[in-house]
Amino acid sequence: MTLDARNDEPEIEALRVDRYLESILLARDRGSLAALHDPRLDVGLRSTAERLSAQLVRVHPSFRFEERLALRLAEAAEAMRLPAAVGASSSLPTPISPAFGSRNAPGFGQSQVDDPAMLTDDEDEAAFHARPLLIGGALTSAAISLAGAVLVAWRLSRPAQPMARAIRAAHGRARHESGLA
Amino acid sequence: MARPVFRKVKAEEEHRLVHLDRDRSLVEAALRDPAAFDALYRKYLAQVYSYAYYELGNHHDAEDAAERTFLLALGALGRFDERARPADGEGASTFKVWLFRIARNVVANIRRGRRRSPSAPLEVAAGVADPLDIEGDVSARHEAGAAWAAVGRLPAERRRALVLRFVEEMSTAEIAGVLGRSEGAVRVLIHRGLRAVARDLGGRRW
Repeated sequence: MTLDARNDEPEIEALRVDRYLESILLARDRGSLAALHDPRLDVGLRSTAERLSAQLVRVHPSFRFEERLALRLAEAAEAMRLPAAVGASSSLPTPISPAFGSRNAPGFGQSQVDDPAMLTDDEDEAAFHARPLLIGGALTSAAISLAGAVLVAWRLSRPAQPMARAIRAAHGRARHESGLA
Repeated sequence: MARPVFRKVKAEEEHRLVHLDRDRSLVEAALRDPAAFDALYRKYLAQVYSYAYYELGNHHDAEDAAERTFLLALGALGRFDERARPADGEGASTFKVWLFRIARNVVANIRRGRRRSPSAPLEVAAGVADPLDIEGDVSARHEAGAAWAAVGRLPAERRRALVLRFVEEMSTAEIAGVLGRSEGAVRVLIHRGLRAVARDLGGRRW
């Protein structure tokens, strides 16, 4: 096996898995069990794919919810139609109130409200972006501690200057005398 | 078979765009009269709701996400940019991919907001078990719960890719459009996700 072939192996296997999934989803649609037989595909992967295909089925909302939201959308559509009818605006206004959490929702910036289909950071990426801040904070605090330790060490190691010693002695005597008085 | 829909288009190709979106007539009707958005809503509600349900793990949050998604979509429909081309094939729906991009953002926003582990395994498992199968009910719920728990433990992009593939039965190209990645990257995401789930479940036959 060449080096290139080894490098391509994960992508080739991903393609095989993709073809296999296509076949089992197609079989599910047709109500049959027959799926593509690919002996090169790992048995564990095949059985997991079949299991997920059988168990991760679509879940439907309640009729009550469907009708309630339909009514809400109809009201929003009506509200959008009115300004257009009087020629107030050629573009559709956003019918979202803050209660729906669009404009005021955390994580939804103005750009997402303008274009809600613009992809935002997902939770993994958000955590990843937060990490440098935490690491930066820890580094800063460690750097401050280190600087403090270095300063103390420097002060201790540095021999006292005669003039500085005289000034400290003078200050000490003055405090002592004022205390006696 | 749906093909990629949100790919970059070179400027010189723009004038050759041919609109093939299977939802084109519905979108145009909704642009003329917002009340006609109802048809698009009825067509995609179950898919958007189901995606949100698997991502968020309970009916309440799924309803919230579906509501936000459709209201945002209705408000932003004027900015929807159809990009299907002849090569994309007859079944392509750029609207569906656009709608799911909104749903993905809404769901991610809700997950970020609550910052707690989803209650997915239990409620999702209860939802997918066949209510008429009394004897098999407990074991079906247990099996489905274990499968979903394994999917739920995946990193966000792998989890999303698997849900879109298995629950929504989207093609790799459509998932690429929703997640903003290449088809190759999506195939690798699904492959790795599936392998992780297989490892998690111990590769047991069931």
